[in-house]
Amino acid sequence: MKIAQPTRLLRDSGHLLLTVAPGALCIVAFLVLPSLYLMGMAFLSNGPYGLPTLPLSLQAFRELAGFGFLGWSPGNLYTLLRSVWQTLLATVLVILIAYPSAYYIASRPSRYRALLLLAVVVPSWTNQVIRSVGWMNLFAPGTPVSNLAAALGFTAPPMGLFPSQFAVIVGLVYNFLPFMVLPLYAAFERLDFTQIEAAQDLFARPFAVFWHAVLPQTLPGLMAGTVLVAIPAFGMYVVTELLGGGKASMIGNLVARQFAQASNWPLGAAGALIMIVVTLIGLRVLRQLGRRLGGDREVVL
Amino acid sequence: MSGKNLERSLRGFWFALMMFLYAPLAVVVLFSFNSINSSARFAGFSLEWYEKLFANDAIISALVNTLVLAASSSVLAVIIGGLLGYGLYRYRRWRMGWLIWLIYLPVIMPDIVFGIAEMTFFVSLHDLFGLFKPGLSTMIIAHVTFQVPFVALLVNARLLSLDPQLFEACNDLYANPWQRARFFIFPVLWPAVLSSVLLALTLSIDDFVISFFTAGPDSTTLPIYIWSAIKKGVTPEVNAIATLMIGSVFIAALMSLFIHRRSVQKDRT
Repeated sequence: MKIAQPTRLLRDSGHLLLTVAPGALCIVAFLVLPSLYLMGMAFLSNGPYGLPTLPLSLQAFRELAGFGFLGWSPGNLYTLLRSVWQTLLATVLVILIAYPSAYYIASRPSRYRALLLLAVVVPSWTNQVIRSVGWMNLFAPGTPVSNLAAALGFTAPPMGLFPSQFAVIVGLVYNFLPFMVLPLYAAFERLDFTQIEAAQDLFARPFAVFWHAVLPQTLPGLMAGTVLVAIPAFGMYVVTELLGGGKASMIGNLVARQFAQASNWPLGAAGALIMIVVTLIGLRVLRQLGRRLGGDREVVL
Repeated sequence: MSGKNLERSLRGFWFALMMFLYAPLAVVVLFSFNSINSSARFAGFSLEWYEKLFANDAIISALVNTLVLAASSSVLAVIIGGLLGYGLYRYRRWRMGWLIWLIYLPVIMPDIVFGIAEMTFFVSLHDLFGLFKPGLSTMIIAHVTFQVPFVALLVNARLLSLDPQLFEACNDLYANPWQRARFFIFPVLWPAVLSSVLLALTLSIDDFVISFFTAGPDSTTLPIYIWSAIKKGVTPEVNAIATLMIGSVFIAALMSLFIHRRSVQKDRT
C-alpha cells in the first residue's frame, strides 16, 4: 500500500502520540525548558540577592572572562583552560590503560571474558561519591601510599596526596576507564587477527603492528570510548570537588559555586552556557574526526 | 617482543589494573571495621561504626529516601521510556531526527548543568505558582528525565534486533493489537525490560549531582548524606555506609553474572 488511507494515518498518528509523547514531553518539560531558562538567565543582571533581574546585559559574560571590581584577573580563564587540559590528559591516560586491558580480555578463552569484563565494570556501579571516598582514604596523610610518595620526594611528609591535581587525574581515570574498555573490547572481539600475523610475518616492530593492523580496526571503538570518556569528564564536579583543591577545580565547580556560596546566578548560568557550547563543539569535532578516520558513524552517536 | 614475554607482561598489567580498580573499595571496606577513627592506621576489628549507623535516624531515613527514589523513578522511567522506545521503532520510517536528538540530550548534557537547570527551574516555578517544592517529588522527576533515554534506547535496540517479518506474521495470524502485544511484544521485550529496570535502578543510585541540586531539606539520600559528612572529614562511619552500598553492588554483580551464565547455557541447548 503506497498511500496510507486517511483513517489509518490518523490512527497511526494517535498511536505515535500515545507512545512517544510522554517521553518527549518529559524531556522537553524537565530538561529543554529548564536549560533554556538557565541559558536565558545568563543574559540578565545580578540582583541584590544573587538572583537574576532585568535589564538584559552581558555583565555575566564579562565577569566570566575575568573583569571584576578589581580589574581583570585570569582566574576564570585558567579554570576553563584547566578543564580542557585535565579532560585531555585523563582521556589519553584512559586510552593508554584501556588498550592493553581490552586486548587482555579479548585474548582470554571466551568462557572467562564475561567475568573479566564484569571485573572492570563493577567499580563504576558504585556511587561516584563513594569512589572518591576510596581515594580520599588511600591518599590521606600518613597512609602507606602517601608515605611512599613522600619518601620518593613527590610530596612534603606531613601532607597527603590529596587535595591535588594528581588526585583529580587519578579520580577521573578511575571513573571513566570502563567506558573506554567496553567499546574497545567490542572492537577487539571482531578483530581480524590475520592482519596482525601478516604484519608480524613481515617483521613489523610491535609499534608498527599496532599502528597499521590494530589501530585502524579498533578505531570505531576508540572514537565511541573517547566520546563516553571526554564528554562527562569535562563536566566533572564530584571528583574535582572532593579530591582537588582550588588549584585543580574545573568549570563545573566554578558554575556550582555561583549557585551555592557565591550566589551569582547569571554568572553561573553564563558558565553553564559555555559548558554546553564546549560539549557540543567537542561532540561535533569527535564525530567529524570519527568519520574522516573511517570510524563507524553509528557508534559515535 | 616474543609471545611469551607479551603474555607475561599482559598478566602483570592485568594484576596492576585490578589493584588500581579495587584498592580504593577495599580500603573503604577495611577501615569501616577499624576500631579507631583513622584512615591511616588499622588498630583492630570492630563493629562499633555499624552499630552507630543503625542507631542514626538520619541515615535510616536517607536509606529509605534512596530506595523510594530509585524504585519509583525506575518504574516510571521504564513505562515512559519503554513506550518511547517502541514508538521510535514502530515509526522509524517517519522523519524523526529531532526525536533522536531529544533522546540524546539528557545523555550528553553535563550532569552539573542538568542539575542546576532543574534546580533554578523548580525554584522559580515554586516561587511563582507554589508547585514543585524541592523534595522527593522533584528528585523523582529529575531522575525519570535522565533514565528515560537509556530505557528507550535499550528497548529500541532490542526491537531492531528482531526480524521485522515477525510483526507481519502476527498480522497474517489475524492477531488484534492487544493479542499482538500480549503474545508477541511483551514476551520478546521482557529481557530488555528487565535489564532496563536494572539499568534505571543503577543510574538512580549512582547519581549524586542531579539529586544534590534537586533535593529539598527532608529528602537527603545516602550519597548526599555521605557528601555532607565527608566535608567534615572521612570517618569510619562514612566508610561503613559506603561499605553497605559497595556490598549491594557486588550482590547485583553476582546476580548479573548468574543471569549471564544461564542465558549462555540456554543458547547452547
